[in-house]
Amino acid sequence: MSGDSSFLAQPGRRAAIPIMVLLLLGFVAPLLAVVGFSFMPPRTFGLWHEPSLENYERIFSDNTYVSLLWSLGLASLTVVLLALICYPVAYGLVRVFGRWSTALTLLFTIPLIVSENIRLYGWVLFFIKGGVLPGTLKALFGVEMGDFLFTPAAVLFGMVYVYLPFMLFPMTLGIAMVPNQMREAARDLGASRWQVFREVELPLSTPGLMIGSLLTFVLAVGAIAEAKVLGGQRIIPITHDIEIAFTYAQNWPLGAALAVLLMLVVSVLVLTVLKRFDLDQILGKR
Amino acid sequence: MFDSHLTRRNFMKTSASVAATLAASQMGPFARPAHAARDKELNILCWEGYNSAQVLDPFRSSKSANVKAESLTNDPTMINRLRAGEINVWDLINVNNPWARKVMMPEKLIKPLDRAKFEPYFEKMLPQFKPPYKWAMDDSGKELLGMAQRFGPYSFVVNTDKISRKTAEDQGWDLFNDPKLAGRFGILESDDWNVFGICAIAGFDPYKPHSPEEVAKFEETAKRVLKNKKVVGDIATMNQALISGEIDCHLTGGSYSVSPARADGHLNLRAITPNKGPFAGGKGGIAWIEITSVVNNPQGSPLAETFLEYVQDPVVAHTVAFAEGTFNPVAQMGNPECFKLFSKEQLDAIQWDSLDEEMARSVEYDIVPDYDKLLDIWNAAKKS
Amino acid sequence: MSKPILQLKNVRKAFGTLAAVDDVNLSIGEGEFFTIVGPSGSGKTTLIRMLAGMEKPTSGDILLHDKRINDTPANERPTCMVFQSLALFPHRTVGQNIEFALKIRNVDPAVREKRARELMQQLHLPADYYSKNVTLCSGGERQRVALARALAFDPQILFFDEPLSAIDYKLRKTLEKELKDIHRETGKTFVYITHSLEEAMVMSDRIGVMRRGKLIQVGSPNEIYSTPRSRFVSEFMGDVNVIPVEANGAGSVRSQSLGASFKVLANSVEAKAQCLVVRPEFLRFLDTPADAQNSLRGILYNEYALGSRIQYQVRVGEKVFLVEKLRQQPFKGKLDDEVLIGWDPENAILVADE
Ligand SMILES: Nc1ncnc2c1ncn2[C@@H]1O[C@H](COP(=O)(O)OP(=O)(O)OP(=O)(O)O)[C@@H](O)[C@H]1O
Ligand SMILES: [Mg+2]
Repeated sequence: MSGDSSFLAQPGRRAAIPIMVLLLLGFVAPLLAVVGFSFMPPRTFGLWHEPSLENYERIFSDNTYVSLLWSLGLASLTVVLLALICYPVAYGLVRVFGRWSTALTLLFTIPLIVSENIRLYGWVLFFIKGGVLPGTLKALFGVEMGDFLFTPAAVLFGMVYVYLPFMLFPMTLGIAMVPNQMREAARDLGASRWQVFREVELPLSTPGLMIGSLLTFVLAVGAIAEAKVLGGQRIIPITHDIEIAFTYAQNWPLGAALAVLLMLVVSVLVLTVLKRFDLDQILGKR
Repeated sequence: MFDSHLTRRNFMKTSASVAATLAASQMGPFARPAHAARDKELNILCWEGYNSAQVLDPFRSSKSANVKAESLTNDPTMINRLRAGEINVWDLINVNNPWARKVMMPEKLIKPLDRAKFEPYFEKMLPQFKPPYKWAMDDSGKELLGMAQRFGPYSFVVNTDKISRKTAEDQGWDLFNDPKLAGRFGILESDDWNVFGICAIAGFDPYKPHSPEEVAKFEETAKRVLKNKKVVGDIATMNQALISGEIDCHLTGGSYSVSPARADGHLNLRAITPNKGPFAGGKGGIAWIEITSVVNNPQGSPLAETFLEYVQDPVVAHTVAFAEGTFNPVAQMGNPECFKLFSKEQLDAIQWDSLDEEMARSVEYDIVPDYDKLLDIWNAAKKS
Repeated sequence: MSKPILQLKNVRKAFGTLAAVDDVNLSIGEGEFFTIVGPSGSGKTTLIRMLAGMEKPTSGDILLHDKRINDTPANERPTCMVFQSLALFPHRTVGQNIEFALKIRNVDPAVREKRARELMQQLHLPADYYSKNVTLCSGGERQRVALARALAFDPQILFFDEPLSAIDYKLRKTLEKELKDIHRETGKTFVYITHSLEEAMVMSDRIGVMRRGKLIQVGSPNEIYSTPRSRFVSEFMGDVNVIPVEANGAGSVRSQSLGASFKVLANSVEAKAQCLVVRPEFLRFLDTPADAQNSLRGILYNEYALGSRIQYQVRVGEKVFLVEKLRQQPFKGKLDDEVLIGWDPENAILVADE
């Protein structure tokens, strides 16, 4: 990147211009619009008012942090739970199905063609009073199920369920990419199965874990339907705040400021993590 | 109409529309060739129902027109989109009663209809719509601003197996002040209506300016009601929770929201209009009437008025009443030609038996003077 | 041969219907440097993987110190393997790679490091490489790290599966020597796989030749070189002149294709199909047919410089013979000249035609 006299000296970069222009129009322009809106006075609808910091001041003075903390907390918990759930599953898949395992995990993405809301409503019917689970428990064992639906736990459940494929796929890929010879070499050097796992397989599959975690974290921070449908709005994630600002409240500048804040927080978190764990180094690339 | 299937995708759509609006408003005149012929094209901004294929397809084929309808779930959003530049995009706008007369006409977002042509339709409607119908007229009473069709009472809904209709009607909004109901009721997500409801529970009329004491009472009530609720959700969630017994009643709701469940045979679920309450004249509940107006679009489509006439047809009006999602009474039921199309089950679903008395006990939806302030309090209370 | 450390009895490994290793019997002595050569697909890797414990024999027995180890897993065998790919751990430094086996055994970190540094010195790895990422090392350095990692394990037997095949000629020569030195210094048993005859010749105490899963000849480099048992072995050992022949009475064989008879050592003639093998360095240019007991007339067709020697191709009918002479005593003939080549019976051997 450095010593080049002209950025466009390389043909590759010149070929990339159409893509860059597209990205600029399709991605950067709306983003700039949102940033611009965030500096407009509250409850205005154009970009040509005198800029103000009022929205940001309001965010920091009222209880917006509650929503932000819920979003970040639930997303982090989701990532942790997904890592704990998906790793053994991915590991088993790779062990049993070898190089077909990655293709197999794609099967887990099939439910994605059904809208997220519909799948979540399915779970509402599963957990609701007299629904599939409580009904079965009562009929078979005579036990009353405690409250689960419309609690934060239900939200977490929904998020884990919805984002599972996004963790499983990169993770399986990560584990499948560990060369078998690494395992054999470690074993040959005296490592037990557990030691092979701990010393070789786990560290060498961290890129999959990292990519899966980042992906699910970013997606989960943007989650909204789970809290609405399964959580019964017991908690309000930041995305719901943004939605309210853009709809009922009709306070676009506030919504834009919330969106900018969320983007900033997530970017900083993701970049920090990426910096701490240099993927290339883990993968052993130069 | 108050259903809110708002998901992340919708949120993205909303954000995208912000950007689109931006582009449209900035490039306004360049967005489209100046005088493109639009006589085969119609864009409708509406509540759920008018965008259904059942309503639109016959119109599309008979006029071989390209009709686009986008449904939103609250009035201010629609109006603000016109304000932000989409006045160049839409031909018809379908919102609740006060907006045309109090906001859109004064701001020149809509334009009057030909009285001679459209007033006769009001003659055939139910008695309360007899011309000149207040919400269809401007302040001066000279201009006709839109057509009425769907309407209904909208206060709260109970499961009459758990709370009898009489108890609910007698106790009214105070029901939600009863500590015994904690954990047994839901709130239909519809923030503007929720604000009305909280005012009523707090014991004052939402549609007038509020004293600081009332605002404080509002905040206290909002927090308490939110704390005691079991679930906040959309229509489907409320009906499901009522049917399964998760909740006994829910705040904000009426024939519009409960009719799908009633049509499904759950006649024990019922929209309630309290006998008395804090509204003007001691009335107990709130009702809404949709007014559909022609947008003041510089290149408006001639099909806008054609469509308004089209939905007056008895068969089409019946279709609108039972369009997908929610079922509602329509003003055109005043015409026997239209009324006879409703089956007994359909009349049961929309609580035809008590519709007149409930409408009589209700004030009509109106604009809350300090809505922004109350709404901010309400939304902040959700997080405490 | 010293006392056997590893013995193979009728070892067979089948993948489906294919016998990758077929009925191998072998005994490897303690401290021996044993090399297995054979063409690609002959079963070398499969054999060595069974010895290391990464593959189980379909039938037969593997004995270590006279104890059957067929079912002992790789991590419980006192053996260690250097892979062709080296299989270094990319997420570890040079030091951590070398110490791996010690870490597995919970050796104290200070002791580990000391041992790693010793090995690095022994293998000519710079001391500051200790904390260098292995992926940043050159090919030769990685080779040394892999060897150090295996030595740190302190195995009784070290297996090598073509570890030098991906390395340039000069470095390979250096590493071959170093490997030989390490073998001497440590006194451990080395079992080594290679494609290269040269490599096998330079380093080994004994060589085993594999073909289609079978071990077809085992012997010292000299034995394999000078008395190959079959046409395959002799050809595998480098450029040789092979003439299919049939018995033609005592002390004589006859080639159909050349239409000539040759005198051979009387005791080597057998009834089955045989080949007469004459090494290029034993073929001479003659002035007259009387200068050797066997002679052929041909055309000088081409010549190649092979470092210290020069190789000449002589065409006799359809067949091309190779003649090698030292560079200092080149043949003076011109290309396309008619030349006379010949050899004496004691410079040729008869082998089975298989
Ligand atoms: N796991 C396996 N499954 C099926 N066939 C195998 C397997 N491993 C080896 N083979 C087959 O066994 C035969 C011997 O393979 P092996 O790898 O032992 O040969 P090699 O002598 O090491 O060859 P190279 O010199 O190319 O490394 C080959 O035909 C190979 O295809
Ligand atoms: Mg091999």
